[in-house]
Amino acid sequence: MDTVHIQSRSVSVVSFAAIRARAAGATLRRLVAFTLISIGTLATKAGKSPQVMRPLMIEQVFRVGVKLLPIVCFLGITLGIVIVGQTVTVLQTVGAVKFTGMLLVTVVIRELAPLVAGLVVLARVGTASVIELATARALGEVEALEALGIDPIHYLVVPRVIGFTVAVATLTAHFVLLALVSGYAFAFARGLPLTLTGYFGDIATALSWADFPLLALKTSLFGAVTGLVICYQGLSQALRLEEVGAATTRTVAQCVVGCLCIDALFVPVYLLL
Amino acid sequence: MSDDAVIEMSGVAVANPHGSGIPLVSSVDWRVARGECWVVAGQQGSGKTTVIETAAGLRPASRGEVRLFGEPLPSPAGEAMARLRQRVGFVFEGAGRLFPDLGVAENIALPLRYHRHLTVAESAAELRPLMEAFQLERFANLAPGRIGRAWARRAGLARAMASRPELVLLDNPLEGLDPVHLRWWRGFLAELVHGHPWLGGKPATVVIATDELRPLLGIGTRFATVDGGRWKVLGDRGAVSASDDPAVRELMDERN
Repeated sequence: MDTVHIQSRSVSVVSFAAIRARAAGATLRRLVAFTLISIGTLATKAGKSPQVMRPLMIEQVFRVGVKLLPIVCFLGITLGIVIVGQTVTVLQTVGAVKFTGMLLVTVVIRELAPLVAGLVVLARVGTASVIELATARALGEVEALEALGIDPIHYLVVPRVIGFTVAVATLTAHFVLLALVSGYAFAFARGLPLTLTGYFGDIATALSWADFPLLALKTSLFGAVTGLVICYQGLSQALRLEEVGAATTRTVAQCVVGCLCIDALFVPVYLLL
Repeated sequence: MSDDAVIEMSGVAVANPHGSGIPLVSSVDWRVARGECWVVAGQQGSGKTTVIETAAGLRPASRGEVRLFGEPLPSPAGEAMARLRQRVGFVFEGAGRLFPDLGVAENIALPLRYHRHLTVAESAAELRPLMEAFQLERFANLAPGRIGRAWARRAGLARAMASRPELVLLDNPLEGLDPVHLRWWRGFLAELVHGHPWLGGKPATVVIATDELRPLLGIGTRFATVDGGRWKVLGDRGAVSASDDPAVRELMDERN
């Protein structure tokens, strides 16, 4: 009896996993289709209606980027003290100070900064944007745009995706600078024998020229994926009030998974540098 | 398919946009000629809104063929559809579905600014006569949520009229209006049918969906009903007045 019970249980676990995998596959297909439509719209309507579109894009950059600058600066300073300051201190203690630059480039510049900027944007603006778009959809604003001959993808999605892309990239740059400076300040305050030129010289030596375009690409992709998932979840279906919470949770999960997958794709590239 | 047909629907079935895809109204055969004013009447939830939204190209038909201005409807996201929609004004039910993040004047100017690349000042100058005609100047800078529902609906009408459309579709425009607004709307609709100054005095082709026939009897020139999933063309005013169909009598509010 026990064997039969365990077998039926394992079958149900397998079938549950299969159902979940199929659902994830279907969501991924729809997301890819939405992404392709958005890219197509961006390409074909790039210069259309600048009088209307430019202010929308500036508003999104301001909302996602400029308004989040204080919190990203705060995180940059605190995480700089916590991670960079401690790392430098430990490396000094164990006599491995020559690895400072390499370690900070790998941990802070390549990995931590893009993830922190992406997560802050997602948490502070992303979830609110899903609710905003879902409400717009539920109140028929999408149909109202269509009735006026305005492409909802062009009007609602493109400015947001551009806003998120620019914001994550620029916030990452701010985070990197503040984390490195505050980390050095912490180490200096602790009286470690580390000169400013030596510290930044180590980092500059560990950096490759390819790091700059790669960081720009990675952060832009984080922002674009976040923006696209948010717009997809907000606009793909008319949500009832009780469904908005679940859509927000799905958005957070899908954005995190998407960003980590992109992050993983960059690992072999970084290993080649 | 004649040249002066503005809307042509043949064998069209429409489904509930929020439902299971089961036809809400089946076999719509309808031809709206240039300059006609059609009143489509039906009870709430009968599918009249879905029929006129399908006619305007806002919803796909489940079956059958829809033609606007003599041409089959192009792909929804294409430029051809965007151009076609500038010739059609659609006024939504309720508070006009204004965009809450834009002011009233910005809402009205949006189609002009988007399609004709006008600056805020240029669009304001162009729309001044429209704002004055619709008595909306004092609400110009307010958010839609801060003005009354009837005024918001009027702003929705102004937005639909901004691009000087040839075809105007209105969804239940007289619903829940006080006597002053009701008088204004009836006057406007009559003017629209006979030639509104904003449209250069040229009669527009008008389609009005309503759940009450009587207030529109003097305005419409052709009438149809949607009842129990069936589309029925009644004919002119005389045919409506003479109809002994209980559904028509109910929509005329002659139940008692």
